[in-house]
Amino acid sequence: MTDHGQSEDTGTDTTDFGFKRVKSEEKASLVRGVFDSVAARYDLMNDLMSAGVHRLWKRFTIELSAVRPGQTVLDIAGGTGDLAERFSRLVGPQGQVILADINAAMLEVGRDRLIDRGALSNIDVVQCDAQYLPFPDNSIDCITIAFGLRNVTDKALAMRAMLRVLRPGGRLLVLEFSKPTSRLLAKAYDAYSFKLLPFMGRIVANDAESYRYLAESIRKHPDQDTLLEMLEDSGFVDCQYHNMTGGIVAVHRGIKA
Amino acid sequence: MNNQHDPAILSGAFAGLEAAVNRALMLAPASAKDLAEMAGTMIAIECTAPKLEVFITIEPSGLLHFAGYNENQPATRMRGALKHFIELATAEDPAATLINSDLEILGNSAPLIALQQIITRMDVDWEAPLVDVLGDVAGHQMAQLLRGVFGWGGQAAKSLRRQLSEFILEEGRLSPPAAELEHFYSEVQALGLRVDRLQSRLQRLSKRISQHMQVQK
Repeated sequence: MTDHGQSEDTGTDTTDFGFKRVKSEEKASLVRGVFDSVAARYDLMNDLMSAGVHRLWKRFTIELSAVRPGQTVLDIAGGTGDLAERFSRLVGPQGQVILADINAAMLEVGRDRLIDRGALSNIDVVQCDAQYLPFPDNSIDCITIAFGLRNVTDKALAMRAMLRVLRPGGRLLVLEFSKPTSRLLAKAYDAYSFKLLPFMGRIVANDAESYRYLAESIRKHPDQDTLLEMLEDSGFVDCQYHNMTGGIVAVHRGIKA
Repeated sequence: MNNQHDPAILSGAFAGLEAAVNRALMLAPASAKDLAEMAGTMIAIECTAPKLEVFITIEPSGLLHFAGYNENQPATRMRGALKHFIELATAEDPAATLINSDLEILGNSAPLIALQQIITRMDVDWEAPLVDVLGDVAGHQMAQLLRGVFGWGGQAAKSLRRQLSEFILEEGRLSPPAAELEHFYSEVQALGLRVDRLQSRLQRLSKRISQHMQVQK
């Protein structure tokens, strides 16, 4: 699975970019470089790298969203629009879906795909930074961010922005790589991420470095319990998470009180 | 309820089931149309052993959506062990099996009955996908063959059941026919009543004898 969106704050002027430390203001452009590189083959690589399982992770995330017809859904770091397309059917013609991503190349691929599938009637495409969401307070029923949060420079700032735009009772769903719950699985996953993944990136997308970054950024991302605490610290209530595929991926849910 | 299972595995299982059911529904447009009239209806199936829950929602297109998680209140909830669901699925008379089984039905049973009737009437058109793949002539021939095979299969199963029943009852005399059994049961019942009457009569006679003996003393 690839990811996309934005970067990590440490409270200083440097942050993680994979296993490297870079200046905070540089991370967004470095991440943009990664996703500019992988955008064209993003969906193909997702299917190859996860053996199609990313569709099941997203399917469960949509179930957890409990989205109903007429609601407004914001899909942050929505990239190629696969979640947005499914939400579009759920909210129906009376509802609205906003497909947002910081990366123009990813949005372009997503928008083209949605046009090809005739799914743009209730979808707006917006290029924006998750840390500074350009939407009114209390205007969104559900926010999803799938494989995007770990690329955000200041996650806490982004979470507060999401809380601001959510309606009371609205929910945030964070689908993100996490920590495998079994040591054996963790070892196999490490071997896969650092050996096979860059190799596949080189063969399919002709870009081993971008996929090496993706694997490194997954390891630097907070584990399940840490991310749960971050959600609670940002002001979300009734927070919980569900591990999937042995904890390789987790979906966190937080509600705005 | 589904917390003990990996959501990704459940999603995969439900997605596969959903694809298979919807593919069959697409080949039975009349059933899909009937289902579309029930759009928005959700039925929850709660299996208590093993623990598993599936929510089946009817979409406006008449197709079904299977999910392991749903926060809405289902119109109908069926609860029971897997073996009871299997019994129901394989029963010749599902309505009678449902009434006599240990399955628990909560909520409105009308959608369940409507769904059962739609499934009973479901007539899958095998020809459309075969014509798509094989062309008009070969597809039609293959569909005819399949219809023949399925038709023959159904007839053969019915005939086998009938012949087996005849052998057990008539040829092998392994089991008495239903009428004979009924006659036997009513004879036993009548005998029981006669024994009861005889016992009462004996008690009455015994009482009279003892009274007579006391008078003579």
